[in-house]
Amino acid sequence: MQIFSSRRTWAWPYVVFMGMFVVLPLILVGVYAFTDIEGHFTLHNFAKFFSHSEAIQTFLYSVMIAVFNTVICLLIGYPAAYIMAQEDFKTPKVMAMLFILPMWINFLLRTVATVELFNMCGLPLGEGALLFGLCYDYLPFMIYPIYNTLQKMDNSLVEAAQDLGANRWTCFWKIIVPLSMPGVYSGIVMVFMPTVSTFAIAELLTHNNIKLFGSLIQDYITTTDLLNYGAVLSLVLLIVIGLTSFFGENDSEEKGGGLV
Amino acid sequence: MRRGVTGYGLRIMGFVIALLFSLSAFGQSNLTYELKVGTTGENALLATFPESYAGEKVNIKLRVESLEFRDLDYIFADKPQPIVDRFDSIYSYTDEAKVTWTVWRNHKEIKNRSQRVLVGNAYKVFEEYILQETAAARRSRGWIWWLFAGLILAGTALYGGYVFYERRKEKSLSAVEQETLRRKRMGMRRHYGSQLYLWLLLIVLYAPIALIAVFSFTKSKVLGNWTGFSMELYANLFSGRADAGLNSAIWYTVVIALIAAVCSTILGTLAAIGIYNMRARQRKVVRLLNSVPMINPDIITGISLFLLFVALGFSQGLTTVCIAHVVFCTPYVVLSVLPRLSRMNPNTYEAALDLGATPAQALRMVMLPELWPGMLSGFILALTLSVDDFGVTFFTKGSGGLETLSTFIYSDARKGGLTPELRPLFTLILLVMLGILIYINIRNSKQEEK
Repeated sequence: MQIFSSRRTWAWPYVVFMGMFVVLPLILVGVYAFTDIEGHFTLHNFAKFFSHSEAIQTFLYSVMIAVFNTVICLLIGYPAAYIMAQEDFKTPKVMAMLFILPMWINFLLRTVATVELFNMCGLPLGEGALLFGLCYDYLPFMIYPIYNTLQKMDNSLVEAAQDLGANRWTCFWKIIVPLSMPGVYSGIVMVFMPTVSTFAIAELLTHNNIKLFGSLIQDYITTTDLLNYGAVLSLVLLIVIGLTSFFGENDSEEKGGGLV
Repeated sequence: MRRGVTGYGLRIMGFVIALLFSLSAFGQSNLTYELKVGTTGENALLATFPESYAGEKVNIKLRVESLEFRDLDYIFADKPQPIVDRFDSIYSYTDEAKVTWTVWRNHKEIKNRSQRVLVGNAYKVFEEYILQETAAARRSRGWIWWLFAGLILAGTALYGGYVFYERRKEKSLSAVEQETLRRKRMGMRRHYGSQLYLWLLLIVLYAPIALIAVFSFTKSKVLGNWTGFSMELYANLFSGRADAGLNSAIWYTVVIALIAAVCSTILGTLAAIGIYNMRARQRKVVRLLNSVPMINPDIITGISLFLLFVALGFSQGLTTVCIAHVVFCTPYVVLSVLPRLSRMNPNTYEAALDLGATPAQALRMVMLPELWPGMLSGFILALTLSVDDFGVTFFTKGSGGLETLSTFIYSDARKGGLTPELRPLFTLILLVMLGILIYINIRNSKQEEK
């Protein structure tokens, strides 16, 4: 019994480490948000946020961009995952490999190259470029979870539906789509969360013309006097992230795993 | 089942509401401004606005020859007034150049003007070649459309030829054979459509990367300007003649990745063993804690650690970056070791102890041989995550001049151009990764055959 309990203690260094460098910092974000520069309790920063139209508009705009990007990734990624998961598709592994490979090139470098590609084709760098670049960066995160669930799906259900007289569309909407929902959901979470908090890509893709919420936070947090206000903005983002991951809670086993 | 679907319905409704909610962000920026932008004798901008908009903030960008940009936040004043920011504070050309102003408010471009003006030559920061290169790059841009058109034409011609050939062969067949062939082709055609979709996606996905790879074989400073085949950039990269900042960034990236991967593998393996032996409730708590850094986006991890280091008065540098990387790498190591633990016989460790081994010996001789595949994949995952990280490093690197590859590329891109040696560097990384993936693929398929 003594040995048993001693082995359990092996996780303690990790727990202490995580408490120190994960939990404490997150609490500190809250503490900084509720204090002023001298460390006194204040609600002034929150009042500032709610009267700061630029911050609120940027926030709404970022959420909108993230929602659009998620929808676009879903619309493009679902068919791709569906095709790859078909039984008669011969080379799913190679295809899967080809879709992950770009992720080994630094994403900032890819973004710069995208900008150059847009320049070469004479396309303007605006919202279109921003959505293209974001979709380009996060598409694999959408394809993977969907592909995984579709591949694990029990094909006999589809066959049963066909035997019972369902046509291809009915079969797709009534059987395949509901069964792939866990994958779709974790894909949505995995695309939405990084997009809503992105901060470098937008600046590079639009030559600094469009500012997303992440960049706004970055600006405030790196300015010493405005650090507390930056903490408020981070807290807002943290709440959005918390809500999103709460939505995707049921599918936590899909997250993180399987991707690399 | 039914409940599950309703749950998804609710979630989708949530997203639709979020979409509608966020759509309201549009439409708020439809104010029109009277704005005159022009040059005065001193190359300053003159902006006038209606008085009713006094106090509103806009953002004005200046761009010279599509290369450099500078933005200034400008508050509308009561009266028209010149914007004092002169061109001589941008990197100036020695000559006449095309200058573009765009004025933005709430993410919308409200004014755009481009004009050739004489730019002050007070600061000759830019070397002549950049001017030449941009001119050449502009001239050479036409080829990309020809390339696209050529590829599409060639593809169509090949496919058409193939179909024509097949049809001619068919005519000599019997009616039954023709019918089976037709059916087969119907199936194939469906297949072709989906294949085509995937390949189109891949082409779009790889286009920027191909651009990097292709232009790593020319020595021009600007990406997109072909100045003839040259291996000079590769030579520079290997002989250390590249930019000093790049060399130190590569060095730091490797050092940080190795430190972070080693630390997180040790910490994560021990933690996984501990978690595996915990009681259910405790295990649930620790696993929840473990998932927090994985769910957190990097900007939150970075900012929260930044605040911690500020609060504790740590000076930020190599140590803080390493700690931060261990924070977000370890959970992945834990997750890759845990499945190995549940696969091994839990009694072997105790058996070793009963037979007289010390805990250290038992760990080394009994557990590690079982766990190492999980540890290795955790280690590789940690290396990858660390090398690829930008957000966390950005907030924890401090201002002491420490740069990893990601932050180096970021500051480079913000300045308007990329260090050319980055192109061969990432082409090589891509090739190495491609090689490794192909190797793994071949090995796996061989194992499957056995």
